[in-house]
Amino acid sequence: MLLLQLRNELQKLFGKPRTYIGFGALLGAQVLIVLVFRYSHASRGMVRQLETNGYDPTQYLTSLTIATIMLFPIAYVLLPLYVTLIGGDLVAKEAEDGTLRMILSRPISRFRLLLVKWLAGVIFSTLLVAMLGVIGVGFASCFFPWGGLFVFIPGEMFSVLDASQGLWHYAGAHVFLAVKAATVLSLAFMFSCFNMKPAAATILALSVTFVSFVLMQIPFFKDLQPWFFTYYLNIWQNLLIQPVPWWKVAQSLCVLAGFNLTFLIIGFTAFHVRDIKS
Amino acid sequence: MIELKNVVKVFGRRTAVEDLTLTVPPGSIYGLLGHNGAGKSTAIGMMLGQVWPTHGEVRVGGYEVTAHRQQALQRVGAIFEAPVFYDYLSGWRNLEILSHYTGPTSPARIREVIDWVGLTGREKGKVRTYSHGMRTRLALAQALLPDPNLLILDEPGDGLDPEGIHELRLTILRLNRELGLTILLSSHLLNEVEQLCTGIAVLNQGRKVFEGPLTGIRSDRHWLRLRTGDFAAAVRELRQAGLITDARDERLIELAPAAGPEQVVRRLVELGMAVYEIAPEEPTLEHFYLSLMKDSRVKPPGLL
Repeated sequence: MLLLQLRNELQKLFGKPRTYIGFGALLGAQVLIVLVFRYSHASRGMVRQLETNGYDPTQYLTSLTIATIMLFPIAYVLLPLYVTLIGGDLVAKEAEDGTLRMILSRPISRFRLLLVKWLAGVIFSTLLVAMLGVIGVGFASCFFPWGGLFVFIPGEMFSVLDASQGLWHYAGAHVFLAVKAATVLSLAFMFSCFNMKPAAATILALSVTFVSFVLMQIPFFKDLQPWFFTYYLNIWQNLLIQPVPWWKVAQSLCVLAGFNLTFLIIGFTAFHVRDIKS
Repeated sequence: MIELKNVVKVFGRRTAVEDLTLTVPPGSIYGLLGHNGAGKSTAIGMMLGQVWPTHGEVRVGGYEVTAHRQQALQRVGAIFEAPVFYDYLSGWRNLEILSHYTGPTSPARIREVIDWVGLTGREKGKVRTYSHGMRTRLALAQALLPDPNLLILDEPGDGLDPEGIHELRLTILRLNRELGLTILLSSHLLNEVEQLCTGIAVLNQGRKVFEGPLTGIRSDRHWLRLRTGDFAAAVRELRQAGLITDARDERLIELAPAAGPEQVVRRLVELGMAVYEIAPEEPTLEHFYLSLMKDSRVKPPGLL
């Protein structure tokens, strides 16, 4: 029965045109970034870095590298935006439309209803990230050759990997990017369980995410970084480092699991004590 | 079928329902009346486990709703004012989705219910293309899917045209007579309630001001409708003659115990007053309701 209800929830979610805004926007961003790299001098700095370190740029200025570069702005800005849009809608939109009242005239427990909705949201987040990865590398392949992976973030990351290793790291990064997306969605879902408009739930979740991210970037708060929610959301970047710091990944996973559980408990409790009115 | 015992619901500083005790007998069509904000929807919300009572006990089908909501709602269907659905999905898919919140439902059962409400042929169309009347039928279909023995209708006639209201009335009667459903009907349409219900409860400012069979609204006082050229002068003369004890609304008189209508007519004709009509006035639910509201405004709280 749970699977049937989950299937229905997914059909409700994917039947709505607004669900595809995220897919469309991410696709648009990817197209734009690939075209900029292809038809401008944006890759010049990358070529210089590779040459300085003794690598052949033609081996590493590849579709995998471009797809990974695209991942950064999308993961930091667009992905949280679109998963909070969906997460904020999951409960609050049904309450606003009045369908929640109709559902809750049926003998389904509030806990089970929320569980099904949250699972549907997590599946949406995972699909969104999977699409991001597949389309990203697929579209970049139209303009760049297949080959190794090069990732460079000054002071943080310098990874040069061959094609097979690079693909493995690229796929792994997406698995943990899905964890990030699911966590941000859980935050929006928590707000959605309160008596508020869907837009308010989305904006609150986005505000928490962006404010935490901005505070984390302030040099004075560098020592406090582990206390910020967003610090652990960057878990996916660790998968691009060679060798992968698995202890750090495991630590972040545990903290994110704790955050998810906390968001769910708060959301479930708020929803359970709430009066559902017209 | 439904029992509310000393139920109280407080929202912040506002008491929405105050010490409400109510019994809806099985097999009845029961009307819940009251103006906007009287507490009808809150009471219905508590029956469906959507609103938690601050105090008191709500039982549906023998189960206490707060503690055993799932058992209590197993065979309950509900329709709310302005029925809303997932507009981007078909009527059929909406029914499947909503019924699965109760349990697995066979396509044969969905077809049966669609036939019953008269939506056959339109069930595969998107709900956004449905008229208000069709949405009401779809709402009825979703309420009937779990094979309910209790149907809760919260303002189901809202927004319907006269033809739709007539159709809904006939459907409610069929549901009660053919399927034996107990029906709780919350409505502003007093005429509809009068034609459908066997019992009613009237709420005013969260308090119950009347509960009983619809026959209970028939007053002990018998009024006659009198149309004359000058009602005030006629009343003055009839009082002097000791033929009436009371008059109201510029058209109604109450006869003295020993007086008959023929005496009233004779007296007025003797005085040269034209009498156009004299007939017994049947008490209507509307009149009863309005007088109840007027009375409950002047009575101190606590009086029923």
